[in-house]
Amino acid sequence: MNDRTNFRGPPERTMETLFARLALTLAQPLGGRLIQPVLDLMMSTLARRHPDAFERMAELGEADLLVDPVDLPAAFLLHVGERPGLKVCDRATQANARVRGAFASLLDLFEGRIDGDALFFSRDLTIEGDTELVVGMRNSLDGEDFDLAADFGALFGPLANLPLRRPLTSLAGTLIGLHEVLLAPALRRLEQVERRLGRLEEGKR
Amino acid sequence: MASFELICPAGTLAALRAAVDAGADSVYVGFRDETNARNFPGLNFSRKELRQGVDYAHARGKQVFVAINTYPTAGNAGAWHRAVDDAADNGADAVILADLGLLDYASKSRPKLRLHLSVQASAANPEAIGLYRDAFGVRRVVLPRVLTINDIAKLNAEIDIETEVFVFGGMCPMAEGRCSLSSYATGRSPNRNGVCSPASHVRYETRGSKLVSRLGAFTINTFDEEEPAGYPTLCKGRFTTHDKASYLFEEPTSLNALHLLPDLKAAGVKALKIEGRQRGKAYIAQVVAACRDALDRFDRGQSYDATALDRVTEGGKDTAGAYGRAWR
Repeated sequence: MNDRTNFRGPPERTMETLFARLALTLAQPLGGRLIQPVLDLMMSTLARRHPDAFERMAELGEADLLVDPVDLPAAFLLHVGERPGLKVCDRATQANARVRGAFASLLDLFEGRIDGDALFFSRDLTIEGDTELVVGMRNSLDGEDFDLAADFGALFGPLANLPLRRPLTSLAGTLIGLHEVLLAPALRRLEQVERRLGRLEEGKR
Repeated sequence: MASFELICPAGTLAALRAAVDAGADSVYVGFRDETNARNFPGLNFSRKELRQGVDYAHARGKQVFVAINTYPTAGNAGAWHRAVDDAADNGADAVILADLGLLDYASKSRPKLRLHLSVQASAANPEAIGLYRDAFGVRRVVLPRVLTINDIAKLNAEIDIETEVFVFGGMCPMAEGRCSLSSYATGRSPNRNGVCSPASHVRYETRGSKLVSRLGAFTINTFDEEEPAGYPTLCKGRFTTHDKASYLFEEPTSLNALHLLPDLKAAGVKALKIEGRQRGKAYIAQVVAACRDALDRFDRGQSYDATALDRVTEGGKDTAGAYGRAWR
């Protein structure tokens, strides 16, 4: 039997998860005005540093992939094709396909640090919609050696080399733990409601 | 001298590098078209990438094989011929073929190119293997995953070319190259188009807490909330017969024969193959490293962990497949 906890994000991802959660929480009231220029800069940086991967993605045709990190307050809509783009969106947004999982797992998958099939087998990753798009996307990314810290670190110049990673990671872990303790009762209630709805839905079939 | 040669899969250049770095003796790859049996979207090698991969492997004393193991359609063998020529011109150490016509072409037009017989040819008796050796100069046969260890030992006693068998990865329970289940469901043939259960025909649906996998018009499986999932292949589908849902052919599971290394050596096997060109480079690195470690320990007479890879298997389970099959 599989040990599902094996596929959860490694500890160093707590920093990225907290940062993304904070950024999305703060940015949501302002719509896309604050965060869109950052996402555009990220995409143009990746396209410049990894042209082969973007060329392979362009071959997949024009399509939208909803990337849904279950532990963040919003989802991302990735447009692939001739002019790829990334934007924050509501998780109910319509797309050709949807990939759902913990933010840390999705980051690991993007960087090729974890096997997508194993995540799928262990049910830590859910995919819906156009499977061909998801498989093509996964293969296009996996053929490239992405390292987001290095890719975006270049944007910060000498600041990228400051020895802050370990203390910040530790602080982030503490904050996430606190955040989860505070949210736990509400999340449990939400899960109960989801299960009840699921049972009702199955009963209708 | 090592007991076995370790043959590892790669669907991308990054995966090839991961396999070589993790301890592969040889890596097998395919071109980005229907000439190979892992024709998945976004996967496989361009000619330029093959050259880069060969250079990377050769610089480290490793080999690269190119699988050209689907069957050309009548009168349309051009892409397959070009694949053989380009593999040879880009420094491949061997090509893995299944089709008789293509073997004939390769043996005549590229007489110095080493030929391996693909598992897709399903050659499982001395007469068939002898024909491939005599007619085309085939040097190695990849045996189908339907033979027991005793079958392999008997076969090796009667043939004089190398045998390669699968040791870990996806578990195809059918006579490979002859299975039409996926073609029946999707209209696209794994043996001609190069992909079993093509992603274009696969859909996953979440129904309440259950995950439903579908292939074409067929429901393949329904997984409960905590149940590990599997690939949407018909041979591993769960179907209802006589009001009872069960796996009629095979469960979602992966092959793991690492605990059978002593038996495979005694049976005369030359090379062990890992399945999985469609898997990510993280999987390749992990599986190749674990198999390398097991083989090295086996050669030193030390015990080794045959269960180290349980967490990456399909359905969270593994099997010795036909090697240890107790027939129902």
